[in-house]
Formats: sequence, structure tokens, C-alpha cells
Amino acid sequence: MSTRNRDTGAPREQVEIPREQVEITVGYRALPGKDQQDRLEKITVEPTEGDAPPWDANTPYKVVGSDLDRVDGFAKATGRAKYAYDQNFPDLQQAMILRAPIARGTLTALDLDEARRMPGVTAVVALKDVGNKVRFVGDAIAAVAAPTLDLARDAIEKIRADYDQEEHNVEYLMSGDAPLLSMGGEVDDEWPADDDIDALLAKATHSHSGTYRTEVQTHSSLETHGNVARFDQKHLDVWSSTQATFGVRGELARALRQRGVDVESVEVHSEYVGGGFGSKFSAGIEGLACCLLAHEAQKPVKLMLDRFEEHTTAGNRPSALMQVRGALDENGRITVWDWRSFGGCGFNGSGGAVRHPSAYLGKAKVRQSHKDIACDTDPARSMRAPGYPQGWFGAELFLDELAAKAGLDPLALRLKNDDEAMRLDQWKFGAERFGWAEARAKQNEPGARYLTGAGLASARWGQLGNHGGRNPHGITCRIHNDGSVESRSGAQDIGTGLKTVLTMLTAEELGIAPARVRATTGHTSDPSGPGSGGSTTTPSLAPAVRHAAYLAAQKLVALVADHLGVPLDEVRCSAGKVGTDKAQLSWTDACKLIGQNPIEAHGERFPNYKQDPFHRGVCGAQFAEVRVDSWTGEVQVTRMFGIQDCGLVIAKKLAESQVLGAMIQGVSYALHEQRIMDQRSGRMLNGDFLRYKITGTKDLPALDCYLHSVANGHDNTGAAGLGEPPSTASAAAIGNAVFHAIGAPVRHLPLTPDKVLAALQKAQRTPR
Amino acid sequence: MRPFTYVLPTSLEQAAEAATQPDTIVKAAGIDIVDRMKERLVTPQKVVNLLPLKRELSQIAEQNGEVTIGAMVTLTQLQEAKQLQGRAYDGLRRAASTTGTPQVQNRATVAGNLLQFTRCWYVRSEAFRCLHGGRGPTCLAMTGDNRYHAVMGWSDCVRVHPSNLAPALLALGAEYTTRAGEAVRRRKLADLFPADPRAQNPEHTLEDGEIVTALHLPAQPADTRLGYAESREKQSFDWATTACAVRVVMAGGKITAADLVLGAVGPVPMAKPQAAQLLVGKEPSEKLFLRVAEAAFAGATPLAFNAYKLPIGKAVVRAALEEATR
Repeated sequence: MSTRNRDTGAPREQVEIPREQVEITVGYRALPGKDQQDRLEKITVEPTEGDAPPWDANTPYKVVGSDLDRVDGFAKATGRAKYAYDQNFPDLQQAMILRAPIARGTLTALDLDEARRMPGVTAVVALKDVGNKVRFVGDAIAAVAAPTLDLARDAIEKIRADYDQEEHNVEYLMSGDAPLLSMGGEVDDEWPADDDIDALLAKATHSHSGTYRTEVQTHSSLETHGNVARFDQKHLDVWSSTQATFGVRGELARALRQRGVDVESVEVHSEYVGGGFGSKFSAGIEGLACCLLAHEAQKPVKLMLDRFEEHTTAGNRPSALMQVRGALDENGRITVWDWRSFGGCGFNGSGGAVRHPSAYLGKAKVRQSHKDIACDTDPARSMRAPGYPQGWFGAELFLDELAAKAGLDPLALRLKNDDEAMRLDQWKFGAERFGWAEARAKQNEPGARYLTGAGLASARWGQLGNHGGRNPHGITCRIHNDGSVESRSGAQDIGTGLKTVLTMLTAEELGIAPARVRATTGHTSDPSGPGSGGSTTTPSLAPAVRHAAYLAAQKLVALVADHLGVPLDEVRCSAGKVGTDKAQLSWTDACKLIGQNPIEAHGERFPNYKQDPFHRGVCGAQFAEVRVDSWTGEVQVTRMFGIQDCGLVIAKKLAESQVLGAMIQGVSYALHEQRIMDQRSGRMLNGDFLRYKITGTKDLPALDCYLHSVANGHDNTGAAGLGEPPSTASAAAIGNAVFHAIGAPVRHLPLTPDKVLAALQKAQRTPR
Repeated sequence: MRPFTYVLPTSLEQAAEAATQPDTIVKAAGIDIVDRMKERLVTPQKVVNLLPLKRELSQIAEQNGEVTIGAMVTLTQLQEAKQLQGRAYDGLRRAASTTGTPQVQNRATVAGNLLQFTRCWYVRSEAFRCLHGGRGPTCLAMTGDNRYHAVMGWSDCVRVHPSNLAPALLALGAEYTTRAGEAVRRRKLADLFPADPRAQNPEHTLEDGEIVTALHLPAQPADTRLGYAESREKQSFDWATTACAVRVVMAGGKITAADLVLGAVGPVPMAKPQAAQLLVGKEPSEKLFLRVAEAAFAGATPLAFNAYKLPIGKAVVRAALEEATR
């Protein structure tokens, strides 16, 4: 996923000075179960001068890793948390966007006068010029602000927009650029010749070929995209539902100046965000429209998308078509992997790239190609592990089909081929915990209505956070004389738990109870953080949180040492006290030494340690069991288990939530979610939450996960992001379980009853 | 939502009177109508809210075996009513329990469920000008994406009737009472649905101002069982893709009377008396059920994208029969 602040890996420009070397222990302790062992090693790292000393596998934690509740859970559950949607001001105007009703063409006339003249309407702005292209149903044409949403809508209906309509196509497989498909759903184009691949396939003990498909998934954030904008002279405040506060600030400042809006400063506020999943990096046309309306009206304006707009104009996970050929040698090793994929994208024809699990292919001859195919719809945006769930579904199901041909258990095939040493431990542990052997041995009675099956899949993600380039990210830590502590980040918490992370790390560093710490996120007046993409927010900021608290503690320690008359280097903050082993003050008394101005420290995100042994990312494994109704084709996922490497587990409950949430979203992706387009009108048919089916409580399996805490020696904390890693595996594991249950693969997500029944009929219910 | 006059009646008489005004709609729980008003698919001048009459209209009473169910009985009440616990009502409770979510069941009413507006995604979007309600020249679903549409009983509009209580109530031989002004009428439940379910006809036959006040389930013979099954793409908050309610009366191991009604496959709930007749005088068997299922879907005319409903619908008939004769 693209993030606003990509880790360039380039060292910051500074004079190289010899650094202090610190020996730390990295790796993990033996997982529970048979044949597991400690995987620990000592390495030497060179922290940046002044940074907090590194934590490692031997660090005893008081707060970190405990099951503290989400610190803002109560505020969220009781409605006290104010999202962008909840902002209200006197004289607030409501806004709405006129959307193009055609999928392709040109705007030939736009008359805003009648709307402007309507009593009450406070602003009307054009968002597209006459002569501009219309690229999809929902393309923004103009926007209106008025005291009520109803009046805004009345005004929208008074806008005259004419179009020169062109023929459109909203199904990428119908595009001239798409490959041909056979009646059986196989890509029908010849594979390009390659002597090596052809020879390997020809001499293989077992070979296989298959075509796999996934459908468009929309992000479906509970809070839709939108903003509240308010000008005060040339200063602009924007309350934004975004996952990149600093990105939005820069984008709006640039865009508004270009549009001739006199703006000197922009401040973005996103204290609470109702989900993003990768769709909320940009202010978007709706953000720009909101600001332009606020400027024209000279009143605060709220513009939030409605659910249909959210489904049709705010991005999606594109569909994918994948074809694989591969083979095994007599030892069950993959010898050749020939992969070609096609992404079903929006009008811009990009963003459809598909990833596949390369860890299995270390010994194989690999060829891969990808082509994005455009059609006249809303463009793709990054979505929770972009390209991974699609590719993992295709690749892992292909491997299970290949394993079945070779008479190999799917787990055995993984164990023979997986190059990830850590995951070999995870496979063994997970198989025991899940009861893999028993689940696979279960026989379905011939003629039974309900068929059970079990499947597994790997998880993988490759990013561990960044420091923000030339202007490193930071955190502010303040200690007040009443003993309260603030930890502040200008980055947003999109629900993943940044506030809780700030709280727990600060409490750990200062040796105090988490209740003393108040975390604030999402105001760009505070130090910067990354956009919440690529699972980088926590690993990017955690070291800076520690550093800020570490620096603040040093200042308090100096006050206490002076007060008690003890040597400075013997004073510690721990267990709610500040002092030496012999002379101490309680935290509250120590803080009374602080004057009117709080202690304030700016923590900096230093570059990652060069040694960084786990720099390649994190891995995990998931297992799923399903029950298929062979009469109706309905699939019920009955249980799932996931093990996930997540670096240092900071907030246990929130980390578990991330893994379980990814599995829930995976069930939804596997069984239900798909955008359904009307080819004739180019319009989405199921653009609401009833027809766009998202899994509900009755559809959920019993969920279980194990957090595999790994000291990764990455930086002073060793956190790893967790949003994306577990979401790569779930749909693949479910697809494999359905294959096991019914004895035939269903190669097209979502696994709806019609497709499952068709596969069953094809397999003629052959008992396995 | 456009502004409207909101009427909170204090008596059924008042409600009936208010309902006769032009451009007026009557709402019970408002599960669906409020959404459609927000989207301006419905823009009434006046809304008569029946909720103040909930006490009066949500009684369940039994007399001589006949059970009367107030129109505003909620789906939760329906499942819990002591008068409806026997096997003759199994399928009715099950149908209620699969509806929406527990929250919806706590609020939604029996009459509201029966009077649901179609879920057709062409009809329910102002962007589409389809034949339904005379908005356009043709049924767009007939030639568009019709995966959730009718496989039988359609003529110029391929919508399906979404009520899942309707098949169960029809199979039980229910009747309904309405009030229009002063007039009180009681009819067979089948009369609530149009005999000719064309595009111009609404989902029900109520006249303007006519309010359903109660449903009546006739006394059931000894050892009556009601089976109900449906197919779905999702268990939480979704509508059935096919549904079947079947009532059988058992005696001496044989079926002595039967009714079978399909849901979600046609513009109205589809009673299948010929299929039901195959059951009469027979002992339950898998072979018999398969034959009945075939008969229930005999002559079905699926569209381009919903042929899957035939095998699934037949499986649902079989499941309902198994449940009833278990």
C-alpha cells in the first residue's frame, strides 16, 4: 500500500559518528506444543544517540502486552467520541454533490443559476467544467450547500447538466483488453512459449492448471468519507474522516491555492475516524468541494457522502482473474510456477496488481505477469493488504488442488515448500491447536446433507514502519504537576488503536498506571505521523512514543535527583515512584516539583536499526473449518484459528481484535461481498448495506487467535503493524476448506450458494 | 426526507379516518418506509403512525382453536406467544426468527412483514425508470441482472414478494381483517395479494385508507405440523432466495391433508396445491418429497441469472417436508 511517507531507507544527512553498541536478544520463545523450541539470538545494534535504549526479548513489561481495554472504547460505545460526522457548529450548512448519471461521456452544459437563486442556498460550486470527460456513474459534477440536507437536495435537482453520452463498459472481462475465457471459466489464451517451463511441466510428477477469480469488494467504512470545513479569515479548520491527516492538510492547502482560495493555514482534526481500510488517504473531490463551499458560503459546511456514494465513488478492492500452472517433483517440492493475473480496475486502469505467496517458490522456476484492465467504473484504491487476499485465494487453492492430485495433505505440502522458518513453527503449532489432522480425517457420510471440510493458508506482510524521511515523525509527551501525562500525535487513529498504544507505551516508560496518561491523536498541530497505510502507524510511531516519554522522564528524574540530593544516574521511574532504591518520591509528589509549565518533550522517530534481522516483515497462518449444505450450497464457516507474528504485542486486546477482525472481514470476502454492476446503465445495483452483503453475527464462526510475539530488533520498541498481515489468509483458508468439504474447488469468490451448488453437481457428490 | 404532516392517532377510528385522506401513508414499525422516504422514493403529504395503537393492535388471542393475531404483533412476540407453541406453528415461528435481525424482530410487525415493498434493485432506485409503478416502459430486471428475481408466476414484472411470513400464514389457511373508514372486512389471506401481479399492481390489494387490523389462524386438526425452510446467501439480515412452508396433517403415519406455499420465487407468494395433493394419503418418504419438490417447481420459467433457484428451491421444499414430517 502506498503511504504518504514512504520509508526511503536513505540515511538522514548527518556526519557519521561512532555509535554506542548495544547487545540485545531477538527472536521468540518456543511456541506451546510439541517439538517447539526457543528461536533466540543475540545481536548488536547501534541506536541513534539519545534514543531510548532498546527493548528486547528479555525486557520485563508491566503494562505492555497486558489486556488493558481500548482507552477510548467507552467514549465510542456511549457516543461521546466525536467523529467528523458528529461535528456541529452554529449556522452549519449541509452539502451534497451532483453525481453524473452516465458512465462515460462529456459534460456539454452546466447551469447552476437556478440552484444559486434558490432561497436559503448558501453556495454552489462546479466540480467539473463543460467539456470535461465523465468517467463513471457518480463522477462529481457540482456541489451545493444549504441550511438543510433537504434544501441542498432540492437545489441539486435544479442544476441542469447535459451530457454527450458514449458507449460504456463496466465489466472488465467484456473489455477488448481482457483475455478470453472458456465456457469452463479458464483463461483461453495460449501461454507464451518458454522452453524451461514447458520442459518442467512435461517432466513433472504432478502438474496442474487452474483459473481463479475474485470480485470487487468495497471498503464499506462505517463512517463514510467526508469533512466539516470552517474558514476563519484565511485559516481553515477541517474535521476530516481520514487516515492521513497530514496528507489531507497538504493536499487541501495546495488545491485551494490553485483554485484561488486565499488560505494561509490549514489545520486538520481527526480525533476519531470510523474506519478507512485504505480508502481515506486523500481529501478527495468531496473534501475539496466541502472547503470551496465553506469559502463561498463563509459559513461552516458539512459534506459527508451517503452510503451509495461511499460504495460507488470512494474506491474499492478491484477484482482479479488469475491463472496458474505448476508442478511438483517426486519429493513434493514445487518445481515450476507459471502465473498470470489480470486486474479488473476502474477507468484509470490501474491498482489491480495481485500478489502471490512467494515463500513457497524458493526452488521453483517462476514466471509471472500481470495486466490491469480498465472499465468505466470508480477506480480502485488500496484496500487492507492490496492485492493479497485475491492472490492468496488463487494461489493457496491452486496448491490444495495440486496437493490433492499428488495425494499430499495440504499441510505436508506447505511444510515441504515454505521457506519461512518462523512459519514452519507456526504451521506445526497451529495444526495442533486447531486439530488439523482430526479435521482432515473426518469423513463425510455418503449422501449426507451437510459436508464438513478444513483448509489452511499462509499470511504474509512486508512492512515494519518508517521514520518519515527528512522530517522524522514525532510525539509530544507532557508531564503536568498534577501527575497527569499527555501523549500526543498528529496522526489519526482509524480505529486500530493508536490512542491505546500511546497510553500503554508511555505508562510503561514512565512506570505509571495507564490511567494517568491521556492520549490525543489526529490534530495536525501536533507532531506528524504517517498515513495509516501498509500497517505502519504503530511501528512508525511506537519508537517515538517511547523516546518522548524517555526524554520527559529524564527531565523529571533531574528534578527529583536535585530535590532528594541523590546521584542523577541512580534515579529511575518505576512502579509509580521516582527515585533510587533508597530514596523515592511517589509519582504524584515527584510531579509536584514541576512548575506551572509542564515538562514537555519531543520524541523523534529515528531510522530503524541497520542490523534489523526481521526486516522482511511478518508471517502467520490460518485454519478454517466449514460446513456446506449440499442441498442448497450454503456455506457456514464453523471455526477459524489464526496465528500471527506481530512483533512486540503492545495492547493485547486490540491486537487480538485486529487479527479476529481480519478473519471476520475474510469470511465476508469469502462468502458474501461483491459489487454488482448493471451493465446497461453502468450503475451499481447493490450500493447499500442490504444488497451489498457483509457478514453478520449469525454468519460468523467460532474465532480464535494466537499472537506470536516476536522481539524483532527493529528499533527501540520492535512493534509490527497488524492491520494487513492477517487479512491475507482468511478467504484462502475458507476456499480450501470448501474444496475439502465438497471434493471440488470453487474457484470464484464469493462462494455463493449458486456457485457451490454448481461445483457440487460437477463433482457429482463423489465422497472423498 | 421531504416535510410531511405526522398523525399520531389515539384510536383506530381516528387512524382509519386519517388514512382516507389523499396522499397519505400508514406506517407501523417503519422498518422500510422511512428509508424510502429518506431517498424520496415515497414522498407523502401525511404519515399516519400506528404505533400509538400498539396496545390495541398487538394482542394474540385463542378461541375454539382459532388464533387471532393483532396486526402490530411483533415478530418477537409471534415467536414467544403461548398460543403459537405447538407443532402446527413451528414453521411460522421459524420464519419469524429468520427475519432481519433480533432488533428488527423486536420492532417489525406481522402486517408490516406481509405488506413489504419489493426489494427489486431496479424498482427501489430512482435512477431506474422501470415499468413498476408506471415509471418507465419495460421491466429492467427482465433483461438486466435478475439473480434475485422471479422464476414463476411473472408476466410483465419479475419482482419477487419478500415476505417470509406469508408462505407460512397462507399454508395455515389464515384470514385477515381490515378497516377502511367504518367498514370492517374479513377475507382469505390469499386475497391480500394481487391475482394478476402485473407491474402496475402494488404488492398487495389494500385500497387507499384500508388498514390491516388482525390475522386469524383457523383451528388446526390434531397432529397438524407446519414446516418452513428457506435458502439464503447470508444468515444475518438478508432475504431468502427461495422459501417454502408446508402444512401437513398426520394420521396413522400417513399425510391426510397438505398445503404447500413457496416464497421469494414469484411476484406473490405461490401456493402449489397440485404439489401438495401428491402428499395426501401417502407415507412420508424421501422419494415422495423429491417428487413433490419437482412438482412445486414444474413449469417454472427462470430468467437469465436465476436458474440456480430451481435446484435450491427444490431442496428447500424437501427440507420443509422433512421438518414437517419428522
